[in-house]
Amino acid sequence: MNILGELALWVALPVAAWGMVLGFIGGREQRGDLVLSAERTVYAVFILILLASLGVVDNFVNDRFEYWYTANYSSRNLDIFYKIAGLWAGQRGSLLFWLLLLCLFSVLAVWSNKRKNREFMPYAVGTLMGLQLFFVVVLLFAEVNPFEKLGFTPVDGAGLNPQLQNYWMTFHPPTLYLGFTAFAIPFAFAVAALLSGRLDSRWIHVTRKWILLSWFFLSVGIVLGMRWAYEELGWGGYWFWDPVENASLLPWLTATAFLHSIQIQENRGMLKVWNMSLVILTFVLTIFATFLTRSGLIESVHTFAENTTIAFIFLTFMGSVVAGGAVLILYRLPQLRSETQIESFLSREAAFLFNNLILLGATFAVMWGTLLPLLSEGFFGEQITVGPPFFNRVNIPIGLVLLALMGIGPVIAWRRASRRNLRKNFLVPVMVGGVTGVVLWALGVRYGWALATFTISAFVLTVIVTEFWKGTRARARIEGEGFIPAFYHLISRNRRRWGGYIVHVAIVMIFTAFAAEPWYVEIQQTMEPGETTEVASPLGSTYSLTYEGMSTNVRDPDQNLAWQAVALLRVERDGRSAGTLRTEKRGYIRPEGQQSTEVGILSRASEDLYVILADVDLQGVVVDNDPAAQAATFTFLVKPLVGGIWAGLFVLILGSLIGLWPSAERVRSAATVRSGRDPFPDAAPALGD
Amino acid sequence: MTLLGALILVGVVVAFILQPIIQGARASLQREDDELTEAEAARRVALLALRDVEYDYHTGKLDQDDYRAMKRQLSAEALAAMKALEEDGARASIEAEIAAVRQGLRAGLVCGSCGQWNPRGSRFCGGCGSAMGERQEPAGSV
Repeated sequence: MNILGELALWVALPVAAWGMVLGFIGGREQRGDLVLSAERTVYAVFILILLASLGVVDNFVNDRFEYWYTANYSSRNLDIFYKIAGLWAGQRGSLLFWLLLLCLFSVLAVWSNKRKNREFMPYAVGTLMGLQLFFVVVLLFAEVNPFEKLGFTPVDGAGLNPQLQNYWMTFHPPTLYLGFTAFAIPFAFAVAALLSGRLDSRWIHVTRKWILLSWFFLSVGIVLGMRWAYEELGWGGYWFWDPVENASLLPWLTATAFLHSIQIQENRGMLKVWNMSLVILTFVLTIFATFLTRSGLIESVHTFAENTTIAFIFLTFMGSVVAGGAVLILYRLPQLRSETQIESFLSREAAFLFNNLILLGATFAVMWGTLLPLLSEGFFGEQITVGPPFFNRVNIPIGLVLLALMGIGPVIAWRRASRRNLRKNFLVPVMVGGVTGVVLWALGVRYGWALATFTISAFVLTVIVTEFWKGTRARARIEGEGFIPAFYHLISRNRRRWGGYIVHVAIVMIFTAFAAEPWYVEIQQTMEPGETTEVASPLGSTYSLTYEGMSTNVRDPDQNLAWQAVALLRVERDGRSAGTLRTEKRGYIRPEGQQSTEVGILSRASEDLYVILADVDLQGVVVDNDPAAQAATFTFLVKPLVGGIWAGLFVLILGSLIGLWPSAERVRSAATVRSGRDPFPDAAPALGD
Repeated sequence: MTLLGALILVGVVVAFILQPIIQGARASLQREDDELTEAEAARRVALLALRDVEYDYHTGKLDQDDYRAMKRQLSAEALAAMKALEEDGARASIEAEIAAVRQGLRAGLVCGSCGQWNPRGSRFCGGCGSAMGERQEPAGSV
């Protein structure tokens, strides 16, 4: 299996090259047979890369430590679950995994377009195969071959970093990769549109669900990463503006912009050049994110990367994509002119445009802060790093403007809105926001940014709830439906709009959670067993934490533990028992000398109590097993509203699924096309559609 | 054993991807019938815009004056698009009629001299009396 896997990777090289060349030639010469052959390479490379991936998994499962990758990321005692996940634990495997997902999505795109959109397919296939070829070349020639052998066989592997042995970490990278790779499909169709010369909104129409799917996976992946940092890194935070975090945020920002700007093109025939540029930029940023995470170029808390020689190949590739994209757009510039113009700055399209500019501003700010250490070292020989204060100072105001736009956009009409109607529509939401602000001020809230966030959030939520209410009422009146069917039809007839509003609610929840940061309580306390510490929450409750003692455990090979010191704390909230929390320090057998801290979290809807075992006399407790050495230092954190981030994720998933769900209209229109009746019943001007 | 496996893998892949070229397979690279034509796309955009205007008006985002003006303009656009579609449709129906006559001629239902449609199995034309073609209705055609 493993030999077949390595062979499959080599066979994929000429097959991918063949597919790329034939796709483009077949498109140019309009030769159906060549294009069909190119399409078959998509299936073939998928099977080959699947074989290669199975080969890597096989190496992990069968403990073949003669392979460099297995020896460095696995050990005999590693759980089978993490051995399978070993495919994306390190740089080499994850590059292969990235390619596997890209191949999977390419197969789906080709298969679903066997009889549709044929004029795009030669170039889309050529582009996708070119991309796959790039990754095969990287895997084979950039010193990152997952099948590279050591020349000797170690008795055991070095083991997987214990911080990666966490189920959040198991799902976080694949989710992000799904987001990155899904965006290759819209990119390929954009290139196909530019090359084939069919420059209307068709390519957007074809890839709309792919764009949303990619955005959805990126969002979920980012929040899962926050959850991982929160639970596993043991410092109580969820976002540190770390380069790797930023790398995943960059394509998310531009994909969000793109998701909004395509609506202007679809509705108003504007912004064609802008959309082409955004799709290329977002795609390059997904490659950039992969590159940043997996090249070791910038040090970060993640530092799971080890090789810098692939930097050159990646930079060359990204440079060619940008240059090629620019040339194609310039070549097609005359056909990319807008069909119409913005009629008024008080219109939804103007609001969308503003949202795009703001998101792009955030993208460049984050990118600047991320690359500054690298650029400053290159140009001045001195590394300048900027920390969270820089990112917060720049991005908090930007975030607030975006938040406000989520409230303004939906209420402004397309084309042109009148001032009188704006006044009428904004009156109630602005008042609700204002009252919220005043009440919070009266309650003693004095943090400016937080106050602004809560005020704007109340405004946005009021707008969204009013939109749902007005839409339902209008539909119920016009169609003569009851309120519940009217509400259901309102959403089902225009899933994109209402799913989008639900996602906005999720974003408001997450922003509100961020804004609670000034209220985070942090107390450090050294305690003897039996002692109690009181921690007051800003939301009013009081926690009493009683340190019950430390239990230790030495050498447990089944769990890869060299030693373990577990502190137990009894928790009472306002005098009532709220259970026990455990927090521990661990030393691992493999990798040797690796330690970690496990935190204890007590979650409620309103706040989390977060306990860290900050310091303990390991020599006394673990080695000497001395009962007198049980004194330990704890860090107690109270984090109000932090649960809003995770709850927001579920709302975001709900909203995205509503947007992604195949709509009844599409199913119906497919049926009517076959029966020869009106294929576009969804274009009928029914209310709420 | 390994070599044999490798050869089989390479052979299968090469045969799979070359088959369409060797067989000279045909595949369309053109826009399909069920995709939007220019006129349909224009009608669709106009109807979508009308839908939005309607929605914005009923939820109080548009003034009555603006609503009327925009509705008038958009309805005109939609009508123009529909007219273009109808012309497309008319052209298509003429072509369909011509095709039907050709089919009838081939099937021996249409008189070659005067163009009269005759019942199946007629030996002489009911319009001009000339003899219908030797060919009678071929089996299975309607």
